[in-house]
Amino acid sequence: MKAPTARSHDLAGALVEMSERLRPCSQCFSFAEDELCPICADPRRDPQTICVVEEPSAILPIEATHEFRGLYHVLGGALSPIDGVDADDLRIDELLVRITQNGVRELVVATNPTMAGEATALFIADQVSGDVIVTRLASGLPVGADLEHADELTVGRALLGRREMKGQPTGP
Amino acid sequence: MTEPWRAWAVSVTDLRCWDRARIDLEPGLVVIWGPNGAGKTSLIEALTMGCLGVSPRTSREAEIVRHGAEAARVELSLDGPDGRRERAIGYAPRRGRRMSIDDAPVRALGEWSVPGAVLVFIPDELRIVKGPPAARRRHLDRLLEASWPGYREASSGYKEAISQRNALLRRVRSGEAGVGELAPWETQMVPLAVEIIRARRQAISDLQGPFQRWLESLGGGPEGQLRLDPSPSSLRDVPDDELEGVIFGFIQERRPRDIGAAQTLSGPHRDDVGLWSGDLDLRSSGSQGEQRTAALALTLAHRDYLSDVAARPILLLDDALSELDPDRRQRVLHAVGDGGQTLITTADPAVAEIARAGSAQVLHIEDGHVAKMG
Ligand SMILES: [Zn+2]
Repeated sequence: MKAPTARSHDLAGALVEMSERLRPCSQCFSFAEDELCPICADPRRDPQTICVVEEPSAILPIEATHEFRGLYHVLGGALSPIDGVDADDLRIDELLVRITQNGVRELVVATNPTMAGEATALFIADQVSGDVIVTRLASGLPVGADLEHADELTVGRALLGRREMKGQPTGP
Repeated sequence: MTEPWRAWAVSVTDLRCWDRARIDLEPGLVVIWGPNGAGKTSLIEALTMGCLGVSPRTSREAEIVRHGAEAARVELSLDGPDGRRERAIGYAPRRGRRMSIDDAPVRALGEWSVPGAVLVFIPDELRIVKGPPAARRRHLDRLLEASWPGYREASSGYKEAISQRNALLRRVRSGEAGVGELAPWETQMVPLAVEIIRARRQAISDLQGPFQRWLESLGGGPEGQLRLDPSPSSLRDVPDDELEGVIFGFIQERRPRDIGAAQTLSGPHRDDVGLWSGDLDLRSSGSQGEQRTAALALTLAHRDYLSDVAARPILLLDDALSELDPDRRQRVLHAVGDGGQTLITTADPAVAEIARAGSAQVLHIEDGHVAKMG
């Protein structure tokens, strides 16, 4: 095992190198080294299902469950008028364009289970046209918790039990 | 029923006239006897602060720090439903409050305070009767935070939704945001408003009987009545299960006005609690004496309610008995002698004498000293 100073030096170096290489994915706005992030570039992923998150950090815990095979969309935050964050400040227009262009059929809204995250989810559900099914992921998570700090099992359960906000009824 | 709340000891440092004092408290009735100006009310204030974190006498907290001192401090050893805790709160004018439980710092006042632990009556502080609606709302909310599961969360969620909506109304008015962004906040706000209204209705209805009985036995007449004055007033006759739809309706309807004012003009954040004696609105038209009697009756009604649904709170009565005739005084003393802890201050040696004849603990206070009187 390396000495702590050497390790932190390595870590700092890695972070600098990473931040120099990383840029936003041109499609989902997560971190990417190229034009597209590895998930958007993966042809096995289903482009007709999009999971909406506030920040890139929320993607990892969902990926860890292996339950979700669609693509992501990073909003860059949540609505919060107190902080001056309106719909224009989030990547909602970009999301609506993707939905139309890719014929998206299902939107999984995984914004944080806070009041701001819930408001953002409700706003998005209201913006998309009626033939897209919109489900809300965070229902299985305790209020105030965020995806980043939830364990895999909880996130996995939340994914399976996501509740419908809008769209055709599911089931038989 | 849960064990009653009980204070074992309170210590104060640099609080008003006290530089340092510690009193050990017996369960049951404790009478603090001493001349006016000896600092009796400051001890009531200290106990209240040790439970709630705020003074019952003033909202200008700098007042509580002894002249020439940097900070005031209260330590309270308190027994409650989750056992005995050593609570401490310090206040310094520029640094604000610092709180701890069992020596571990607690940042948020909401996490530190125990709203159901204490009820306080101070005759010079009648905000709960004649103050603004906010004072009566806060008084009722404190009762519900201690007794209604989920009330604290509903209440803080509602406040958050209102602040977000108000900020958005401002931005809509100035053209920075669209009307369409209001709905997501309103959708979340309405169920919380319904929860708050249901809880308040239930509490008012449960308090009505005890309030009426207490007002009558304290000489305030047989027609005491508590009433929730909802905002908007049209909600008064709406049944619980129709509230949600009705509130959604008026929010939509009043949007233009709310946008014009850049704030949410009606809702449970504007409720009031009416205190009546027959046709007399005690809030605005009661005499000083009537308002005092009503405040004491309401405090005792809260005690009955909390004893039934949660745990019996500690009752702090500052100089509450001197204006009552011997018969009514006896009634109050009898009622509070039912197992809970009650602190009564008095300058009247006769009250101290009556209490000593019972099994009360009597503490004599003079010139910044506390002496046990057996
Ligand atoms: Zn991507």
